[in-house]
Amino acid sequence: MIDRIWHAIEGFLRRSPQVNLLMKRMGIDTVKYWLLVALFGALSDRRELPGHLGRTDMSLQKSSWMFYFLSALMALFFVLAGMSPTTYLAVFLVLSGFLLFTTLLSEANNSLVNPVEGVVLAHQPIDGATYTSAKLTHILRILLYLVPALNLIPAFAGLLLKGAPWYYPLLHLTAAFGEGIVLALACCALFGWLIRFVPPARLKAVGFAAEMSSWLLYLLSQFVPQMHMKFRLPHWLPTGTGPLIAIACALAALAAAMIVLGLRSLSGDYLARVSAIAQGGSGKKFRARRFQLGALVCSGPSARAGFDYVWCMMTRDWQFRRQMISLIPIAAMVFIAARQGLRISPFSGKFTAAHVFPHALGFAFFMICANMPYGLDRKGAWVFLLAPMGALRGLARGVYARLLTLILAPQLVLLPVLAWQWGIRDAALFLAYSAAVSALYLSLELRLVEGVPFTRQEQASGNPYMLMILLVGGLAVGIAVALQYFLIFRSPQAVLAVTVALSIAAWLATRSALQTFEVSIRFHLGLVSNESKGIYTEVNS
Amino acid sequence: MTDPIIAFDRVVFSYDYVEVLHEISFALRRGEVVGLLGPNGAGKSTTIKIIAGILAPSGGAVSVAGFPLPERAIDVKQRIGYVPENAMLFESLTGQEFLELCGRLHGVEEEILQMRIREILETFSLASDRSSRLDTYSKGMRQKVLIAAALLHNPELILLDEPLSGLDINAAIMIKDLIAALSADGRTVLYSSHVLDVVEKICNRALIIHKGSLIADGTLESLRASTGRESLEDVFRTLTHSDGVEPGVARIVAALR
Repeated sequence: MIDRIWHAIEGFLRRSPQVNLLMKRMGIDTVKYWLLVALFGALSDRRELPGHLGRTDMSLQKSSWMFYFLSALMALFFVLAGMSPTTYLAVFLVLSGFLLFTTLLSEANNSLVNPVEGVVLAHQPIDGATYTSAKLTHILRILLYLVPALNLIPAFAGLLLKGAPWYYPLLHLTAAFGEGIVLALACCALFGWLIRFVPPARLKAVGFAAEMSSWLLYLLSQFVPQMHMKFRLPHWLPTGTGPLIAIACALAALAAAMIVLGLRSLSGDYLARVSAIAQGGSGKKFRARRFQLGALVCSGPSARAGFDYVWCMMTRDWQFRRQMISLIPIAAMVFIAARQGLRISPFSGKFTAAHVFPHALGFAFFMICANMPYGLDRKGAWVFLLAPMGALRGLARGVYARLLTLILAPQLVLLPVLAWQWGIRDAALFLAYSAAVSALYLSLELRLVEGVPFTRQEQASGNPYMLMILLVGGLAVGIAVALQYFLIFRSPQAVLAVTVALSIAAWLATRSALQTFEVSIRFHLGLVSNESKGIYTEVNS
Repeated sequence: MTDPIIAFDRVVFSYDYVEVLHEISFALRRGEVVGLLGPNGAGKSTTIKIIAGILAPSGGAVSVAGFPLPERAIDVKQRIGYVPENAMLFESLTGQEFLELCGRLHGVEEEILQMRIREILETFSLASDRSSRLDTYSKGMRQKVLIAAALLHNPELILLDEPLSGLDINAAIMIKDLIAALSADGRTVLYSSHVLDVVEKICNRALIIHKGSLIADGTLESLRASTGRESLEDVFRTLTHSDGVEPGVARIVAALR
């Protein structure tokens, strides 16, 4: 449906002489613009450079369905709660604005700061305005999917609110689309400013930080009531409608100027910067570490290779690091909860943040393991093809050892803090329990890592079972937390017994997971199929 | 004397504050076939990318076909054909689609474009693979597609960065003949390569870059005369001070024992 609307709009724009004239006045070469739009569409349809050209139709449709479902639930809740139309509209605009801002920042960053296709086109006679307008067309397409997904059902549900006028849906959708367009332009302008002023070699790192800014805003919003109380902002503002309107107009003009100048930065010599952005590298030199943890933890050279390889890629693969941004809200929630909850021992009989801690770690590692198979430097996978067969077992164990040290590290860090807060017995017992739960999670989640980590191309459609895993997993974790609170943490003896049982379960599950991981590595490297072929040839001959 | 087609005047280029080209100056006349030589990391590809309008110089002045860079990069790109060192292609496009895209971006008329694509693909023995995706092409086939894309719009200046990489012997001979024919037809060719005997055969002049500086610029005869060496390989060794490569080899072998 959305695709049909999009193609109809595209057909109309292509044929309209007024639109073509306007584009020419803006410095856009219309012939090359439509060539590029068609090229980006073809590359996107054929799953080339997924993630670099805006989301594919399939991932957009999946996100849209999820947003339709969530927005319908929220609309039902607010209508039943008898919310006023103004508050209802404001809530949906804030929610829609936050989700769009997060999505569009990510899309603009991926599209403009990591322009893989720009390297192929860099020597073609395409000016910056034409190139960037073709790329931004993809970002506007995302709006066409997501704005209705977030607002269509709430807009019509708004008619059920008391006092809502008959034209409420029109008002709601116009406001949402207006907000979306402004946000899209603002995101592009932000990256325009960055591309203009940040040295190309630093741009990816800065873009990564900019992508997190929506979550930063969210975290800062937690402090708004305190700031409001402290600084008494309304007292600083002039009284009367006139001056307030003047201030609002001045701020709006300033924002518009920032957006226009940011977009102009993009359309200038953007394509000339693409090569430097894509090929410049940070020039950062990595020091050889004196303390080699791998030497302590790993039993052989191949295990140590896996241990060090996976850490280097986790910290340096740009795509992986971007995916980990989704962990920031979890980290923020854990941090906020920990500030309040970790003072009270889980053995006190009260429900505290500590009860959720091992499960939050488990979820964080679920995200890590789910994203670990994919990497930007996947063409380097041939190195593993040359490894002797026995080395792959060591490699798998090395990868697991790195993940295990990472998941156990927070427990070790927290030990002195919690021992001081709760006493050494409670702290040690809780952290032993937490370590056992985390290790069990990791043994299950290791099965998500298919093949050698960071050697596969990211799937454009994502994992089709991911949503299901999240829903069922979330339910199971909820039940586990409830059981833990009501049954286990009632006595230290019960916690100790469960910790021993979970440790044994984790050990058994890890053995099995490591075997599966090793087979998966062989399979994805094509070794299994080659071995099978060899066997069949031998039998036939 | 006609205006040079490429004029480099004290050009400096830095990647992230690290200077990789130090005040390089040279000029190329129309119809010349010039070899650009230098060890790995000397700055050859950076020089070519500056000429192609892909990178903007950090200092100095560059003009190509009379157009200053980077200001008139689009005009320059319209007039050059560029075969990059790394075969960057849209892998999901077919050979035909990729060539059509490149030709259309250069504004080649459709009828002429199709005729040129047909001729070039048949000459390169790629006609039967024209509808296959580029990710199914061998390295040599991809290289041929890149060379074809660089020639489709009949450029005045052809920049070749290791163009024979991956080509079989017949294709390599054909490309060498093609370069000679294009030069005879008035095109200028800047040919960057590590294969010195190829440069010796097809170029009438050589520029040698070492550690970001232009250390030699002249005809092959003048370079031989100034260094007192016979082959271009010996000239290169002398100028880049790589005579002592054998002790390095001995160290590697010793480390492997």
